[in-house]
Amino acid sequence: MKIGVYFCNCASNISDKVDSQRVRAVVGSLEDVAYFKTNELMCSEDGKKFLHDDILEERPDRIVIAACSPRDHEKTFMRVLSGAEMNPYLMQMVNIREQVAWVTEGVGRASTKASSLIKGAVSRVRFHKPLHRKSIDMSPDVMVIGAGPAGLKAALTIAETGRKVTLVEKRPVIGGQPALYEEVFPNLECAPCMLEPILNDVLHGEYAGNIELLTLSEVVELNGFYGNFIAKIRKTPRYADLNQCIGCGDCIGVCPVDVKNEFNNGMDNRKAISLSFAGALPNVPFIDMKACLRAKGEDCRLCEQACPLGEGIIRYDDEETIVERHVGAVIVAVGASLFDAGLIPKLGAGTVADVYTSFEFERLLSSTGPTGGKLRTRSGRTPETIAIVHCVGSLDSNHNEHCSGICCLNAFKFNVMIEHRLPGIQIHHLYKELVYPGKEEYALYQRALSNPNAVFTRYSDIDTIEITSTGDCIGIKTGLPETGVIRADMVVLCPAVVPSKDIGELSRVLDITEDMYGFFEELHGRLDSVRTKVRGIYISGACQSPVNIAQAVNQGQAAAGYVLSGLIAGKQLEIEPLTASVDKDRCSGCRVCLFLCPYKAVFLDAETQRPSVNEVLCQGCGICVAACPSGAMSSNHFTNDAIFAEIEGVLK
Amino acid sequence: MSEDDGRVVFEPKIVGFLCNWCSYAGADKAGGLQRSYPPNVNIIRVMCSGRVDPQFVLKAYSAGADGVLILACHLGDCHYKEGNYHAMQRHRMLLRILSEHGIENERCRFDYVSAADGDKFVKIMNEMVYTIRELGPMDRLNCWSDNKLKQGG
Repeated sequence: MKIGVYFCNCASNISDKVDSQRVRAVVGSLEDVAYFKTNELMCSEDGKKFLHDDILEERPDRIVIAACSPRDHEKTFMRVLSGAEMNPYLMQMVNIREQVAWVTEGVGRASTKASSLIKGAVSRVRFHKPLHRKSIDMSPDVMVIGAGPAGLKAALTIAETGRKVTLVEKRPVIGGQPALYEEVFPNLECAPCMLEPILNDVLHGEYAGNIELLTLSEVVELNGFYGNFIAKIRKTPRYADLNQCIGCGDCIGVCPVDVKNEFNNGMDNRKAISLSFAGALPNVPFIDMKACLRAKGEDCRLCEQACPLGEGIIRYDDEETIVERHVGAVIVAVGASLFDAGLIPKLGAGTVADVYTSFEFERLLSSTGPTGGKLRTRSGRTPETIAIVHCVGSLDSNHNEHCSGICCLNAFKFNVMIEHRLPGIQIHHLYKELVYPGKEEYALYQRALSNPNAVFTRYSDIDTIEITSTGDCIGIKTGLPETGVIRADMVVLCPAVVPSKDIGELSRVLDITEDMYGFFEELHGRLDSVRTKVRGIYISGACQSPVNIAQAVNQGQAAAGYVLSGLIAGKQLEIEPLTASVDKDRCSGCRVCLFLCPYKAVFLDAETQRPSVNEVLCQGCGICVAACPSGAMSSNHFTNDAIFAEIEGVLK
Repeated sequence: MSEDDGRVVFEPKIVGFLCNWCSYAGADKAGGLQRSYPPNVNIIRVMCSGRVDPQFVLKAYSAGADGVLILACHLGDCHYKEGNYHAMQRHRMLLRILSEHGIENERCRFDYVSAADGDKFVKIMNEMVYTIRELGPMDRLNCWSDNKLKQGG
């Protein structure tokens, strides 16, 4: 074997401290070392040309480059090797600048240390094998789960590039939580006006043809890996033709069945065939078959008969179907829920009339809500005092320690909206902390604060608050001696934003992880909040962390960015060769590698019952290799042989 | 051995396994800051501290090391999420094995160094060299010989 050693002076950065002649004396005589050459500055254009030409002339089997940190120029030199027709993995860098020249006193000591490290590299590089990037076919298409702001923007951004997007939404409507709001913070913009252009783009815009919207649908199975996922999606029947129905609503008026309207939190009724709420998109009703008379065996056809388009629009024979889609990536944007305020019984949620959660109150304020946006108590009175309780179940070690960051702003928004509807009304804010980050948010806080009829009271512990019905109104015991009992006609609780209940099931289906709070776990909280540990599955919006609309949309677009830069139509997916591999003959089948892999890259081959490594998912950490009791797992380029040789080499 | 003020000083041989993303970067940071430290530690770069097979450590002792260092990302900071937890657990296991063979626990140190911890890295280098100097050379006769150590992989 012919091994060449190159020693870079790094201008004088290295040569001032490490004597290349002393190093040559040690290294030059090592077995298989054919030559030892120095260069003034290897990373310069001249240096790279020297290396390139020298490799072509010497044709070494392996090379060692003693220079700066491999974190600096390993990639640079690998490119030079490739250009010189040499496999870039047949090289080992030795860090004699950051870890020798710059940190060692005395030329003698530095030269000795450099020699030791180069001896290690020479020993190791013998075991290097030529490695090649592999490439595989992939689908540039994407599945987006959840049609809230994050999912919609992700879907649109991707669809605009001509890719196919399958947009899977559990509800019959799109738009997510803000679709149920009247106005949004910080500047009380009309929520439907803000959302409708986006919703319309998804349904009827220029690129709508690239978006397949599946409402009332859930992902039930996901197989495969980045570039090649197969998703199985369960479509529950809508019983109305999403494409042909014109949304006139004639079918709804004739329906004889009333059921509680979940879109208004059960505060009013809807028909068994219904639009979720006025203005809901897609503007196509759905039949709640649990409530429909047909489910009870009656042959009611009133809605079908009322349809001005005739038969075939209402379809009683619609059935649940499972559809399969081949996609390269998955973006999960299923949102979050609110902490169940009923878990703090003294707050009266669900037991004291006129105590509402913030979601319920949004609907009371909404012109499409149960009261058409009028604030009235259950008994029909106009309220004179409304209390808003912040931090319900947040900043509290008994419930959720996190601050959701959006509830205070919602509460300030309520303050302004209440004042608009009922000028002069008393508003009590009971809070633990007030939080209003962002450039526009302070102005909203000031607006609420400057309301002369608003009182801000800080409480120390939610458990000291007791909300009870006092007959004609509501009494709020604050536990604060100076405040005593506050009397209010309505109470709005602002619960923490928490993971939705079905996140656990979805994380099982997608094989992604949840964090300690129960949200989907991101790859890195600051740098990679939309990636999961599974390559090709991205998370956006409130399913990753409590976020406001702007943040959710940003994350949706960030996920779209990853998809667009990673999966490119017409190109193949390149796979880095620094992965683990299994020697099936040595494997005893203990499966420890399966349990340890942080990326779910090791899977059990159904036929052989032995593990196999998915090279697309493997990130090359080597955790499984170190754990394998049979020595069956190996990591490319960081093989046991190479590392053992390096250990022996540096100690020689 | 080296001479220091006429006194013969034991120069221990130490092998350090450093993960690519945090601790190796921390060592580079010390370089960037031009902080000098003793040259006794020979650094071997691995992608993750979770790659450090206990056999590597045993191999280092049998090949002549007087001490071994394993440096990882801080808990929660691992580039591969959890490799450093595995490294930490394997180190605990190693200490028990080493004790049974009469190798002092101080000869095998596990610590956390981030990419910003240049000064902490230097401190660890100084402490490790000082500690092993105090312990003196490894007494290999009472441990094991190289040919008994089985090479895996």
